[in-house]
Amino acid sequence: MWFATGVVVMNDSIIVVGITLTYLVLVLWVGLRARGQENSSLEGYVAGGRHVGVVILFFILGAEIFSAFAFLGAPGWSYQHGAPAFYILAYLSLIPITIWAMGPRVAKLGRERGYLTQGDMIADHYQSKTLGILAGVIGVLALVPYLTIQIAGAGLLFQAATDGLIPFWLGALLAFLVVAAYVFCSGLNGIGWTNLLQGIMMIVIAWFLGLSISERLYGGVGEMFSQIQLTMPKYLTMPGATGMNWGYFSTAVLVSAFGGAMWPHLFMKFYSADSGKTLRKVSVFYPLYAYLLVPLLFIGFAGILTFSDSPLERSDTVLLRMVMDVANFSPWVIGLMLSGALAAAMSTGANLAHTAAVVLVRDVVGPTLMKSASEKAVVSATRWSVLGLSLVAYLCALANPASLVLLLLGAYGLIVQLFPMVIGALFMPQLRRASVMAGALVGSFAYLMMEFIWSSPLNWHAGTWAMLLNIGVVAACQWLIKPAFAKPSPTNR
Amino acid sequence: MNKTYHLLTGLHFAVCTLAMIWPGALIANRIEPTVLGLPFLFFWYILWMLILFVGMWIAYVVRHGGGRHE
Repeated sequence: MWFATGVVVMNDSIIVVGITLTYLVLVLWVGLRARGQENSSLEGYVAGGRHVGVVILFFILGAEIFSAFAFLGAPGWSYQHGAPAFYILAYLSLIPITIWAMGPRVAKLGRERGYLTQGDMIADHYQSKTLGILAGVIGVLALVPYLTIQIAGAGLLFQAATDGLIPFWLGALLAFLVVAAYVFCSGLNGIGWTNLLQGIMMIVIAWFLGLSISERLYGGVGEMFSQIQLTMPKYLTMPGATGMNWGYFSTAVLVSAFGGAMWPHLFMKFYSADSGKTLRKVSVFYPLYAYLLVPLLFIGFAGILTFSDSPLERSDTVLLRMVMDVANFSPWVIGLMLSGALAAAMSTGANLAHTAAVVLVRDVVGPTLMKSASEKAVVSATRWSVLGLSLVAYLCALANPASLVLLLLGAYGLIVQLFPMVIGALFMPQLRRASVMAGALVGSFAYLMMEFIWSSPLNWHAGTWAMLLNIGVVAACQWLIKPAFAKPSPTNR
Repeated sequence: MNKTYHLLTGLHFAVCTLAMIWPGALIANRIEPTVLGLPFLFFWYILWMLILFVGMWIAYVVRHGGGRHE
């Protein structure tokens, strides 16, 4: 802790704000510059004309996963629980398996049949507009709260790092304006180039902070862990300090790793790849992106020792407290820390705003209110939806309704239940519409019940039970119910 | 070759997944020996992230390495 006079604190905060604003201007400049000629077409605006290459796609998919959670939640987990935080490393590095297996097929179908969203594929394959609209509505319901969390994260970071010089509402507004501006103008191309910049920023800042904090306070990473081993060894192995069991740990990894690709903002990027080969290459290098989290977990572990006498009230403030109060960094470093953490929030936020707008217009409004609209009108509706939905998310962040997290949890659980439906559309044409719908309904209902009313059996992650039920119902329907008017085709008995 | 290829990549994915959850991670659930200054369980995860990458890289080169487009 330092006790400086007000004047010094003020000057320090001005340096922090100066660095961060410079960074925001840089991001805005890169984002606006990326505007290509193809942005007037829907395919260009939504999927980068379906020819996004390896490097940009790698950073887009990376940025989507590493949100404000990476800088706030992940160190918070290792600080609060210890070893159970490795669940984040596990599921992030396993996500590429889904990309490897599913991505090239999704990209190929998208190219052949003009799909741009998940709803497109489901509606077309199962010949049901209702299913497509439903997938769209659930998607928007999950994406907007997620975006709100990013915007609120940006506001909190600004307020904390500048000692209140930039208040919450202004910090959130600045970050959201920059993001909305370049997504509005440049579409996926803007997201791609800014995510490249923001990704590099995040990696450099994360490693710098993780290594220098353990070096400054304990003389190195190894030294730090031996001290934890001496005083609080239970943090270093499972079940950790809070007693998380293997059942929950393992099922949470499985649901997040394999259900995660059902998130519309991830799934839709498969369409933007220039080839299936590109997607494979991206998934090969993807586990390396997960190494970004390693130094951030170090910071949480450092916090275990530092705050052993007076535990933090909120574990997700551990990184901010370490950087600002404990490690005694100069305001320049604090400014860079803020920029790096904002990069994480903004790069994810840009993807979320873009995807939510596309899903809203293409899956929900398109088949209902804008049936015969021209492509130009659809593109412009999508752009304005980016602004509109960002504004909704910003207002939600200001109001901070407690139901937000519940909405996110609920909608996310429902999205994961689309899994058998998507697998059917991609690989198993013999799955019938009635079967996958029954499965998704039972799975979704079971998930909501376990998440909000009962507790989940054996303490497993509720999504796992719901998925098992879902698959069970699909299999049962396939066996039991013979289609009344089955067309004689080789795939449909 | 195609069948063996899919079998091997599938096996690689399954082994990597099981190594990171129950029951695979059980055998690594200890602090000693420390590697690179990290407790063994932490190192275990970092190691399997690397193994996953190397295996996928080999699978990529075998399938797409000859410049053959899908």
